[in-house]
Amino acid sequence: MHDPGAGRMARRKLRTKTNTKPVEYADGEPSAFAAMLGGLIEANVDSRADRKKDFDSLVARVGIWVTDIDEGVTLDFRKGSLVVYNGLQAKRDLTIRAQAGTVMNLSNLKIGLLGMPIYYDEVGRSVAMKLVQGKLRIEGLLGNFATLNTVTRIFSVQ
Amino acid sequence: MAVKAFSDEWAKQFEDEVNKSSVYKAAAKGWKWTVGLVVEAEPDKNFPESRGVVMDLFDGAARSIKVGSAAEAQKCDFVITAPYSRWKQVATKELDATKGMLQGKLKLKGDLPTIVRYTKASQEMTECTTRVPVVWPDGN
Repeated sequence: MHDPGAGRMARRKLRTKTNTKPVEYADGEPSAFAAMLGGLIEANVDSRADRKKDFDSLVARVGIWVTDIDEGVTLDFRKGSLVVYNGLQAKRDLTIRAQAGTVMNLSNLKIGLLGMPIYYDEVGRSVAMKLVQGKLRIEGLLGNFATLNTVTRIFSVQ
Repeated sequence: MAVKAFSDEWAKQFEDEVNKSSVYKAAAKGWKWTVGLVVEAEPDKNFPESRGVVMDLFDGAARSIKVGSAAEAQKCDFVITAPYSRWKQVATKELDATKGMLQGKLKLKGDLPTIVRYTKASQEMTECTTRVPVVWPDGN
């Protein structure tokens, strides 16, 4: 597909991202979880240049399922825009399954050197422990480790 | 001694519980915004008029917690709104506040990254409410 921002080409721009909202919702009535996650990402991207850089580069479909409320979303990152779907959609690169508190803790992971999430402080250890205990499951991690780190950075409010 | 839910006495006891909590003190370090809880009326539950709880919280302490009108609570930096029976569920540990927000049972207004950054503080604040013995208007 032609990318209008890719370089010099003798064609007019097909679309511009400057006037569009970075986060859109696929469903007419986004669930509370979808609205909260979308709102969180939008606020993060708007307020922090490093998060925006990650957001602008990420292409991935990420599912998040909250096991104790039986609700989830699919986040379709498209290089500078995001479409949030209610529920889990097909063709996901990564799927994160965890309880509500753990999902909130993922947003509280600190980011350290080289953009890697820190797993040795209190929040990090609690997230790592959930992973070991099987209370945090990440499907599709093989081959998508860098994507997981980028998504974690976009989520992080720290 | 048990106090009437969302009364001035309840607010004072709640404030005392928050200020006694070392967990809250550590988790809310750096917090500098007001929080309003809007408790929506449910006449069939003997809670005929909406009320507001205005919490002036600063750097790990509760400077004041007062019960007033819903309109006063709505002016706070962060506003959490739910019907009376939902708040009762939170205060009696039937409903986890984090889950309630993700499910839309508790509606949150305010800067999301800030409130998420203080998840532990808000969880401890919920714990503090559960420590106040309460007489509920629709019975215990």
